[in-house]
Amino acid sequence: MTVVRARPHLGTLVEIGARGPGAAEAVDAAFTAVARIHRLMSVHEADSELSRVNRSAAALPVAVGDDSWVVLKAAQALAEESGGLFDISVGARLATLGLLPDHGAPPAPTLGDWRDLQLLPGRRVAFARPLYLDLGGIAKGYAVDIALQSLRDAGMTQAWVNAGGDLARFGTEQVTLQVRHPADPARLVPLLSWRIGAAATSAGYYAPQRNGVPQSPLIDPRTGRPQILDRSITVLAPTTLLADALTKIVALDPARATPLLSAHGARAFILEGRPDGDVAVFDSASACLPEEVSHV
Amino acid sequence: MKTQWYLAPALLIPAALSAPAYAVTYYSVAQAQQALFPQANAFVADALRLTPAQQAQIGKDAGTPQLTSEQPVWRAMSNGRQIGWFVEDEVIGKHELITYAVALDMNGAVQGVEILTYRESRGSEIRNSRWLAQFRGKHFGDPVTLGQDIANISGATYSCRHVAEGVKRILALYEAALK
Repeated sequence: MTVVRARPHLGTLVEIGARGPGAAEAVDAAFTAVARIHRLMSVHEADSELSRVNRSAAALPVAVGDDSWVVLKAAQALAEESGGLFDISVGARLATLGLLPDHGAPPAPTLGDWRDLQLLPGRRVAFARPLYLDLGGIAKGYAVDIALQSLRDAGMTQAWVNAGGDLARFGTEQVTLQVRHPADPARLVPLLSWRIGAAATSAGYYAPQRNGVPQSPLIDPRTGRPQILDRSITVLAPTTLLADALTKIVALDPARATPLLSAHGARAFILEGRPDGDVAVFDSASACLPEEVSHV
Repeated sequence: MKTQWYLAPALLIPAALSAPAYAVTYYSVAQAQQALFPQANAFVADALRLTPAQQAQIGKDAGTPQLTSEQPVWRAMSNGRQIGWFVEDEVIGKHELITYAVALDMNGAVQGVEILTYRESRGSEIRNSRWLAQFRGKHFGDPVTLGQDIANISGATYSCRHVAEGVKRILALYEAALK
């Protein structure tokens, strides 16, 4: 029996599907896991664990649970590897731009960045300077991973979780991964065939608009300014958390992202809409070709 | 010199291969009723007609207008006793039309929200009455044709802001008309 359900979570629609004995209960439990991650890591909720960290960690270290710790550790590692291109402290800029709520967070703009985030023994988080952390670029991917793991643990033979385009699946069936047309998002483009794995896409086409101007939530930490995307970036990676975070790094600097992609066993696609409706696909796997081959 | 991967496209996907918008059905009304109120054994349709004053009050309380005077509402019954309300609603965004259901307990607290159908289209089509008409009126019967599901689509799906606003409006409707 296959069960497919959708519920509003994480600021988007989350679709969860599963096949196997007890699929309905397994899907329910997976949604519960997504809701739990949302409650922990949403900056939209003043009493989330993350909001608590944002309010207090500049004054004294704040202990966090396993989930937040895993995500913060991963975010810090990616910040280091990308030289700060991935930086979860961009929340202050987003709040200044009106893209994130400002409940009890330190007054923006703050001067701190990812280097001021300290992960201390005992799963405690401290800020050397006031910070406003936003896990918007990574928590959704983590929630997808946790939900898919719960479906695996429940003994499903096939399952998938899709949170607004961050998706992961396992199973026996080979299916086509579709990506939205970068210039016409209501159309879908077949990108590749897959059976198991994780993918995430970053694109500007559904950015919230203010006065007709797209408000990109992707902040370039080098300039503090939002980056408007006219191309879409899809990353396949071993986990959705990684895929989610790596799309942001590729969007900001594909050259810098290239060694990170190989180090994490990930592959990026940049999709560019052409005036005739065709889609040009740039594929980081094509970088694996030995240099000599391109000369032949 | 080797060309960087992000400078030269590896392939071109022709426009003809891209597929148009899609629709997904997750639940019929009856299935959603069972899922949201597993302990209920009957659902009694309530012919709810809002007065203009109630409609205005709901819009004021919710911050988004209550557009229709009729709202599909059922009483969830367990052995002859009402245990909650099942409210069906529809929200329309720039690119999407979503039908969903809200389960309320007898105190008006949300017990659950389930998406019934999700239909996506281009902006120009979505407010076209003929496009909408092909889906409307099917709420009470069988699901609309099952299209491609969201399962394998990567890429920023629309936010659920409209659903969140809708749920808020249903809570205002409860205060104004069901309490």
